[in-house]
Amino acid sequence: MLSQIAFWGAVELGLVFAFVAIGVFLAFRVLDFPDLTVDGSFPLGAAVAAVLITIGINPWIAAAAAMLAGGAAGTVTAFLNVRFRILNLLASILTMIALFSVNLRVMGKPNVALINADTMLSPFFGLGLREVYVRPLFVGVLVVIAVIAVWRFLESDAGLAMRATGANPRMSRAQGIDTSWQVYLGLALSNALVALGGALFAQTNGFADVTAGVGTIVVGLAAVIIGETLFGARGILLALIGCVVGSILYRIAIQVALSTDALGLKASDLNLVTAVLVAVALVLPRLRRGASS
Amino acid sequence: MIDLNNIHVTFGKGTPLQKEALKGVNLTIEEGSFVTVIGSNGAGKSTLLGVLAGDVLAGEGRVMIGNTDVTRKSTSARAGLVARVFQDPLTGSCGSLSIEENLALAARRGERRGLRSALGPRRRELFRDRISELNLGLENRMKDRMDLLSGGQRQAVSLVMSTLSGSEVLLLDEHTAALDPGMAEFIMKLTQRVVSERKLTTLMVTHSMRQALDFGHRTIMLHGGEIILDVSGDSRKDLQVEDLIAMFRKMRGETLDDDALLIG
Repeated sequence: MLSQIAFWGAVELGLVFAFVAIGVFLAFRVLDFPDLTVDGSFPLGAAVAAVLITIGINPWIAAAAAMLAGGAAGTVTAFLNVRFRILNLLASILTMIALFSVNLRVMGKPNVALINADTMLSPFFGLGLREVYVRPLFVGVLVVIAVIAVWRFLESDAGLAMRATGANPRMSRAQGIDTSWQVYLGLALSNALVALGGALFAQTNGFADVTAGVGTIVVGLAAVIIGETLFGARGILLALIGCVVGSILYRIAIQVALSTDALGLKASDLNLVTAVLVAVALVLPRLRRGASS
Repeated sequence: MIDLNNIHVTFGKGTPLQKEALKGVNLTIEEGSFVTVIGSNGAGKSTLLGVLAGDVLAGEGRVMIGNTDVTRKSTSARAGLVARVFQDPLTGSCGSLSIEENLALAARRGERRGLRSALGPRRRELFRDRISELNLGLENRMKDRMDLLSGGQRQAVSLVMSTLSGSEVLLLDEHTAALDPGMAEFIMKLTQRVVSERKLTTLMVTHSMRQALDFGHRTIMLHGGEIILDVSGDSRKDLQVEDLIAMFRKMRGETLDDDALLIG
């Protein structure tokens, strides 16, 4: 079984990726926009935060800058799709590919280490609690804040307009909603959250790497789908909590799979395990429906 | 008030499939007047409605709604002036949102949408009251998803949605065509009540000549992108469905072969 440290490490990583899951939920589920930009905006957030921290900028400001950069990336995808009518999936792939080069430019090298730098977490390490607990606790508090903020937003007049845009654009326009603007806003918000996840990833792990984004979208989607499988479609708040729980469960499942010697898996099998897990999560609800009907 | 001045709409301009959908339509509808529109398939009914709603922009001419020139305004930009009920019950509301959320969307049609909760206690109460007026029992299902409702129930809710915020005109786009006869009758009665209670300027496109003559103050018939008949007042009162058909034949000098025009 998992050691304490491995378990809390998985929880921490799950919480970091909860931001990705919430971002993916906004794009895929609320706006109905399959957005792969996240594979680029996650390492973008990590890169921006890491570089700013190494030059002595306050880590909170660095995280805010990472969110702005992520929001800008989402805006580019929205622009390609709305302004030039490029297919949504393709528009996001273009941005994602471009971001790989952008991220290398931002960092100036393939990875940036944050070994001795002060991060958002540094002030909390000296309070007596062990580091293994401080990290998930800190990220967890931020996740709770994000869940509440996104929940309140989606239940406001403005958020309702965004949900309507994804569900029925024709009706939305007839109700006076500028659906193009909603795509801009939604993708910016989504990728800002994903980039914040990247910024936190860099700070909890002590580095930013240009390849850290590979498969981010699959991990985010896995979390969303696991959440939906557990909670069903019963309102916005439960869906968001589902994203968080799904993200944590996903990490624990991966950790268990990799540390179970009987399976003989190596760390390099991660992507295969991820793909199998997502496929299972996708197929399970369908099988269940098949059995009941 | 609606004022259409010399409206031309051409689809696929410059292509072999070029089609003139509206050829210089002039139409003025006074404040509070209820106009019904008939015509065969391809006559230009949908285009006319689209020009008013903003889905179709006129290539030539001027569109006034109230005192606003909306000729070049997009659908969303003119939504504050135009309320609309679609033919397809699935188009007029969001299936994945609840009844009360759909109403909340409609309550802010054409207005700024801020960060205030969409469903405060006061709004919930207002929505409940308005839905209970339908006598369909939907007031106890306010949190149900819209896609759990029947087509008729959805149209009824759509009608309520169209009156939740002020507008200059109400556009009804064959809004009973997808319903069974009983439900269609219920929706028409409801429409009649809503329109007369709120004194709405209304344009109703219909597939049924019976409906076109039984409701509203004035009937126009479109054919080939032009208004070929425009009756109101006493001359309309005496008009029968058969007369309409005869008139149609006389004015066009053609035989009527479209069954859709004869329904009802």
